[in-house]
Amino acid sequence: MFAIITTNLLRRSARTVFTASGIAVGVATIVALLSFTQGLQQTAAGLVHLGGSDLGVFQAGVSDPTTSVLPESMVRRLQASPDVVRATPLLLLVEGVKSDPAAIVFGAEPAGFFTHSLVLLSGRRPQPGSRAILIGDRLASQLHLNRGDLLTVKGHGYRIAGVYHSGILFEDSGAVLALAQAQQLAARPGEETSVEIQLAPGALAAAAARSIERTYPGTQVITDPQQALRAGANGTLISKAILVIVVIALIVGAISVANTMAMSIIERQGEIGLLSTVGWSPVRVASLILGEGVAVSLLGAAAGLLFGVIGGGLLVHALGVSAYVSPSVTAWGLGRGLLVGVAIGVLGGIYPAWRVTRMTPLKVLAGG
Amino acid sequence: MSTQVGAGVLVDGVSKSFGRISSLVDVSLLVEPGEAVAITGRSGSGKSTLLALIGGLEQPDAGRVLIDGQEIWKQPRPARARRELVGFVFQRHLLLGALSARANVEVPLIGAGMHHRARRRRALSLLEEVGLADRAEHLPSELSGGESQRVAVARALANEPRLLLADEPTGALDSHTSERVLDMIFQLRDRLGMTLMVISYDSAVGARADRTITLADGRIDSPTAAAFKR
Repeated sequence: MFAIITTNLLRRSARTVFTASGIAVGVATIVALLSFTQGLQQTAAGLVHLGGSDLGVFQAGVSDPTTSVLPESMVRRLQASPDVVRATPLLLLVEGVKSDPAAIVFGAEPAGFFTHSLVLLSGRRPQPGSRAILIGDRLASQLHLNRGDLLTVKGHGYRIAGVYHSGILFEDSGAVLALAQAQQLAARPGEETSVEIQLAPGALAAAAARSIERTYPGTQVITDPQQALRAGANGTLISKAILVIVVIALIVGAISVANTMAMSIIERQGEIGLLSTVGWSPVRVASLILGEGVAVSLLGAAAGLLFGVIGGGLLVHALGVSAYVSPSVTAWGLGRGLLVGVAIGVLGGIYPAWRVTRMTPLKVLAGG
Repeated sequence: MSTQVGAGVLVDGVSKSFGRISSLVDVSLLVEPGEAVAITGRSGSGKSTLLALIGGLEQPDAGRVLIDGQEIWKQPRPARARRELVGFVFQRHLLLGALSARANVEVPLIGAGMHHRARRRRALSLLEEVGLADRAEHLPSELSGGESQRVAVARALANEPRLLLADEPTGALDSHTSERVLDMIFQLRDRLGMTLMVISYDSAVGARADRTITLADGRIDSPTAAAFKR
């Protein structure tokens, strides 16, 4: 049977290639989007653990964590909590660097653990009160800037005091400014985006998060990357968009396979009639048709997986987010792509296979 | 190849219509096991329909067709019953163009679920039987019309049928090739002992058969035997 399936697909190679290509495009889209969201999730992990924190406190109900607004006074109260060792405020300035809109400028207390966790590769920390800024090594490399150069943030020039590396993509692709200066730039005195918290040894993140959310109504505590993605409307939107695309790919792919196989059985009535005549059961003939559909889909899915891996990289460049999102291909992501490919073959092959079981050999032979 | 007893055929009051056209009207017929019967008649007289009903490719509207006492359509697995009892040869060879002669002969054996090595052995043995052992790996496009029809005969014999139904098997061949194919079919029938029913306009077929039946306007004028059961 396998040999007959292979032979039939090779015999109509152009049709096989076109159908498989359609499926490949669908599967590639899915794999590329999955690798993109996986990358986004890894980036979100960076957002959760900024400055080596265990969790981040944000305003509840915001469409994007970067738009959160908290009062600066919260930091002192949080610092007093028994589970908390250190708390430091952060003000995030998004699209503040005109030359790289993806870069985030962090307004951080110079004495806070966030600023202290930055490893300086060159230069030194800014003097208190000076118009100086620290720049991440990725951003510095991207903009070809060094210590002593000028970085413009929201129209104001800041002298680069040093270049740092933290190992967190968000931080290394951005810059760090004193909190007071950032608040002045954003015209948000006494406000911050989040409070980053380091927990006491032995304290459980989930329990601490529940306790903080109870104590400070209107806040949400993000402890893991999935939560960060869910908290942001963009992350939710992407997840739902992917689901829609998967469903569309399934429907379009299945219709394409069904159409191809239906045309194929009309053309091959003589062959199908012959198989029935020589004693192939309807189920066996239907299996042949279904097998051909699945084989075409597998071919398409295999090509789609390859294109999807390449497409994931192209997607982040096309969206202009390569500075802080690296597509991440996982076995589960590839598996889901393959699963969709096989599902397309099975769904698309069911109707033609069912039609075959309804054909009587004589009619088929007369038609062939 | 093993020799076995042919199947008896009873056609009992069978009628069949396609739309408003009555193809067969109350046809009854008895064929003894091992008998060779030629079926003649004008175009549209119902010959092919009769063969299709006997072979279980269609269900009669009325009456019944028994092969060795079994109604193929009433079996729990009609395809299996057809495979085990009946072999078909058509006017067109209907070989699968992308498969070699050997693979074409193997097709019915795939339907029977035979292991691929056993299939291969049997297909080669059948091709030897029809004088085409040296053409086993050739595609149908590389075979002559006569050779293709011989492959079709080998395919029809693959599951050792007890009844061979041939619908104008030489209709698409020249007279010399027809002669050779007919020789082969009748020799195989003599050697294997199967029942043979052949539709043909060729008087040579009638001369070789044990009996000739003529159909006209869906009716048969041969004497009808009493109910037959093994």
